[in-house]
Amino acid sequence: MTTPAPTDGRVALLHVDDDDLAACVACGLCLPHCPTYRVTGLEAASPRGRITAMRAVQWDGAALDATFAQYMEECVQCRGCEAACPSSVPFGRLMEGARATLQEQPPVKRSPLRGVAEWFGFRVLLPRHWLLLAFTWLLLVAQRLRIVPKGVALPRLSARSLVRPLRPAPAAGEVDAYLFTGCVMDAWQRDVHRAALEVMEAGGAAVGLAGRGGDCCGALHVHAGRIDEARRLATRVVASMPGDAPVVVDSAGCGAAMKDYGHLIDTPEARAFAARVRDFAEWARERHLPLELTGRRVVVQDPCHLRHVQRAASFTHEVLARAYDVTGTDDDGLCCGAGGVYAVVQPELAGAIRARKVEALQRAAGDTAPLVASANPGCLMHLRGAGVDVRHPAELLAAALKKERPPL
Amino acid sequence: MHDLVNDLRAALGTDRARAEPLELALYARDAGVARGRAAAVCWPSSTDDVAAAVRIARRHGRPFVARGSGTGLAGGATPVGDPVVIVTTHMNRVLEVDTANRVAWVEPGVLNLDLTRSVHHLGLHYAPDPSSQQACTVGGNVATNAGGPHCLASGVTSTHVLALDVVLADGSLARLGGLEPDQPGYDLRGCFVGSEGTMGIATRIAVRLSPDPPAVRTLLLGFDSVDDAAATVSGIIAAGIVPAALEMMDALITRAVEDFVGAGFPRDAAAVLLVELDGLPDGVDAQIGAVRAVASERSARTVRVAADEAERALLWKGRKSAFGAIARIAPDYYLHDAVVPRTRLVDVLEQVYAIAGEHRLTVMNVFHAGDGNLHPLIVFDAREPGIWDRVHAAGDEILRACVEAGGVLSGEHGIGLEKREAMPWIFSADDLDAQARLRDAFDPTGAANPQKVLPAGSRCGEATRVPEGAWI
Repeated sequence: MTTPAPTDGRVALLHVDDDDLAACVACGLCLPHCPTYRVTGLEAASPRGRITAMRAVQWDGAALDATFAQYMEECVQCRGCEAACPSSVPFGRLMEGARATLQEQPPVKRSPLRGVAEWFGFRVLLPRHWLLLAFTWLLLVAQRLRIVPKGVALPRLSARSLVRPLRPAPAAGEVDAYLFTGCVMDAWQRDVHRAALEVMEAGGAAVGLAGRGGDCCGALHVHAGRIDEARRLATRVVASMPGDAPVVVDSAGCGAAMKDYGHLIDTPEARAFAARVRDFAEWARERHLPLELTGRRVVVQDPCHLRHVQRAASFTHEVLARAYDVTGTDDDGLCCGAGGVYAVVQPELAGAIRARKVEALQRAAGDTAPLVASANPGCLMHLRGAGVDVRHPAELLAAALKKERPPL
Repeated sequence: MHDLVNDLRAALGTDRARAEPLELALYARDAGVARGRAAAVCWPSSTDDVAAAVRIARRHGRPFVARGSGTGLAGGATPVGDPVVIVTTHMNRVLEVDTANRVAWVEPGVLNLDLTRSVHHLGLHYAPDPSSQQACTVGGNVATNAGGPHCLASGVTSTHVLALDVVLADGSLARLGGLEPDQPGYDLRGCFVGSEGTMGIATRIAVRLSPDPPAVRTLLLGFDSVDDAAATVSGIIAAGIVPAALEMMDALITRAVEDFVGAGFPRDAAAVLLVELDGLPDGVDAQIGAVRAVASERSARTVRVAADEAERALLWKGRKSAFGAIARIAPDYYLHDAVVPRTRLVDVLEQVYAIAGEHRLTVMNVFHAGDGNLHPLIVFDAREPGIWDRVHAAGDEILRACVEAGGVLSGEHGIGLEKREAMPWIFSADDLDAQARLRDAFDPTGAANPQKVLPAGSRCGEATRVPEGAWI
């Protein structure tokens, strides 16, 4: 028999919708599209297994225990399963609900250190960009003094980049587009934003930046089940970019979260804002860009939140093909294992998943070392950690801009 | 129970066996509807591991059940009798590819589509392509003698398995079949393929690889009536064409699939046919012409030839996602897998719709029309009180209608747990006894996947345990 739904009026435990939970028919077509299932072969590390575990807790009275928590926390939240699911089970929503419940009622006492680290990261640092930048300076000094522990996959921070703010050319009136710069990416990969700005302006756009409150989109909070905090941040972000101009996002994870603001903060303003959000390549494809052919081969890695969530990965291929010899991977867009903070909290699984991705990138490149394009800062850092030469599509496009351009 | 897990861990590795309640719940069912309960789950990584797991299970007086991806639809991997579930997902290597002889040795946990992809660059593929081919394992395909859309022309799994290394129920090893074309003696390989895990566990499988056809074209035909579609199926075969695949979907399933893939399936057609033709380019073009002619004679309203590989892939994605896509209509489904003579398709389909109507249920049909392999799907919401009685009653009647039309119980999913009680509908007591004794020859203990395939009472001596009325 299929699992029956509760009929005894017992209060549901997880913050998930019963219809969402009932939607899975257990066909198993998601299994090969799940990175953790691919590397472990365990039902517990598969979307179907995670749903069965949620049903056990929700409907059959199973304990919300450490085993359950482990099953949920092993999920990268890449949502590759959603794209593969013929029943359209909203797995991301189910997982966010389960995580939110675990956040409220942790079955195992968190180590105090982890508690403090999470509080500092989610509550203090990410919402205050000035503080994040100050903290980044500290990290940079620590990095130069070589006192950052080896296990921490920190990219090489650049003082030169940190002292140079982004300065779009002043717009005469309304801006044509906003460039959202976000939190960690602006602190650690500002040169990507600089490249995106250069390409956008080369495409003839008057670009604006977010005003006060545009510190952090809240994507990492949503993934961690910190929904209220995410809502507060999202509300500020919506207010920071007024008007009708498109909001261009060069981070696939942030873009996916911002396109979902209509669900997160269920207001007309949020829905209107979400409709303005564009991935960088999605925006760029509709622009004439003064590019020249480079003849170089680029292997495009589709970030999960661009391919499976935004369903907009093809635009990166399309735009890059104007200047490069573009090829994709043969792994159905399987996740690279970065997953926001996943690579930090689940290093073993993240490493095994990355090894598969690196093999796929190598296969796509043929005999040479691959030059890889990735439109997500997390994937960039994670893949660079394996020694892969990865650039953001904006950087590749900026490098291919014609040196001699007619004045705008 | 604790000793069991400890022994398994000692033999296989500490992280290779588990028995926490939540873990066991994840292995309580496959993609079918029946639920069971396992005593322990283990993940061997070699033939020796599998043999060790089997011996440990037996030492603890427990049966064992092999499981791949758990995509089976007949409950074949459902654990019955508190068994040890032996999961083959870690045994997922393609061991050897012999391109000259077009043979590959693979482990049972290799995914069907992964196998094809691994030899794609050689211009080869593994022909049986169940709808779950992206997820299901070759080991599971061997167990169920799986079919698939392309088995109409190329034959089901048994045609493509040359040899098997198996672990028998006492933990001993045996090789069945061989790579040489004409094997002397009885075809034990043929016995094992389709035995649904009741004769042992295959740990190495030699499969035949097929050359990719030089040209492949896929046609989508839309009809205003199921009758016309079914008549077209017969007409195509009668015209002397054996398509690589010939699939039919009725109106409801076509709409559900179209909503998922957006491949341009006609949402208002009463039935659609997917016809795939392959061979040399000129021959394929001639066949397209012939199919067009048959279809227009049967008043097909649309005939579309997929323009390129992307369009072709999208059409097949739609067909192969059909079972999952029905959840857009209701959260649960009950699926049958009966085969009827092709000439009776129209008549049986009418009965299927009528039976569902009588029980106030929704039924959809998506199936391998070319070989008369019906897949009526009853869709429902299990949360509705009393629904299961109606679903089961309708399911039984549908199956009986198929049998009465001269059909059989299963085309490709297997009998498993789900249909074993219906076995006496098509087999006499003597037939069942002979099958039970064949099974005993492989596994006298009955420890290999117990209570599957054959109904209780299949052996003559057990006749007293036969439930009343089960024999007809």
